[in-house]
Amino acid sequence: MFALARLMVVGFVVLTVIYVCLSLYSRAVRKGKLRAQWHEGPQEQTLDAFLDEGLEDYDKSLRRKLILSVYVIPVILVSVVIYLTNFS
Amino acid sequence: MFGFIRWTFWITIWVLIAGVFHYTLPQVDIVRITDTYEKRQDFGENSLFWAQADTGTDGTLTNRDVFFIQTRRVKGDVMVYRNEDTGWGWPPYFKFDTSNLQAEAGDLKSAEDDARYVAIKHYGWRNEFLTIFPNAISVRAVDGPDASKGIAWVNIFIITIFLTVVYGIWVRWRRFRIARIDPTMEAIEDDLAEASGAVSSWFGTWRKKN
Repeated sequence: MFALARLMVVGFVVLTVIYVCLSLYSRAVRKGKLRAQWHEGPQEQTLDAFLDEGLEDYDKSLRRKLILSVYVIPVILVSVVIYLTNFS
Repeated sequence: MFGFIRWTFWITIWVLIAGVFHYTLPQVDIVRITDTYEKRQDFGENSLFWAQADTGTDGTLTNRDVFFIQTRRVKGDVMVYRNEDTGWGWPPYFKFDTSNLQAEAGDLKSAEDDARYVAIKHYGWRNEFLTIFPNAISVRAVDGPDASKGIAWVNIFIITIFLTVVYGIWVRWRRFRIARIDPTMEAIEDDLAEASGAVSSWFGTWRKKN
């Protein structure tokens, strides 16, 4: 049980680092795009209001939730490897 | 001189990386299983090259019994494989079915005049000086000594991913160096050159004037 616990703890820490980095990166990319959009657009709102609104939409988006697959994919991968090694 | 050190460093790093992959990634041998046995192992300097005790058992003891599979390869030489759980540890094969694999291997045993060939998937190295053995992952019966080993898709996939990541890091590092470090270093060198010019001209004032 100790080995499994160790794998899970180390895995969780590593994946959390990846998750946080990816989240920040993805949000920054979206912010950059929104800024470019504002500069091209009619500029009816202030830049800050436009960015806040856009990022709020982003926070609810599917793309942000897809980053959670950082946790899901390794678990699936390990399950598949366990099946292939031991039961096939 | 500096170039020589740099080349030595990078060649060493890449040989080590290649070694880790060659040790860890699965390979397939076509063999004839001649016998199976188990033997107590007292791990010493070679303990790095042994995997874990069976998952769930007390893994803290200094020695334990290990299963082995004795084979003769198609080429004619012998190869002995160990058969150990990798459990939840490294390398990530998540192998828990060691005893089942030993039963399968025992079942596929054959003599030379009535040979049955099997494909044995394994990782690791055999080295007589360290007493280390490759770890068997799976066995399956094949038609004959010329049976195909299959294409190593997993190895191709993992190495491709690894090289892609390395290339990605390298490109970014190079861009960062050209943009940030090189100009700074040049500025420092320029400053140094200017400063040394100033110092030598100051020394010049000491020299005898002709």
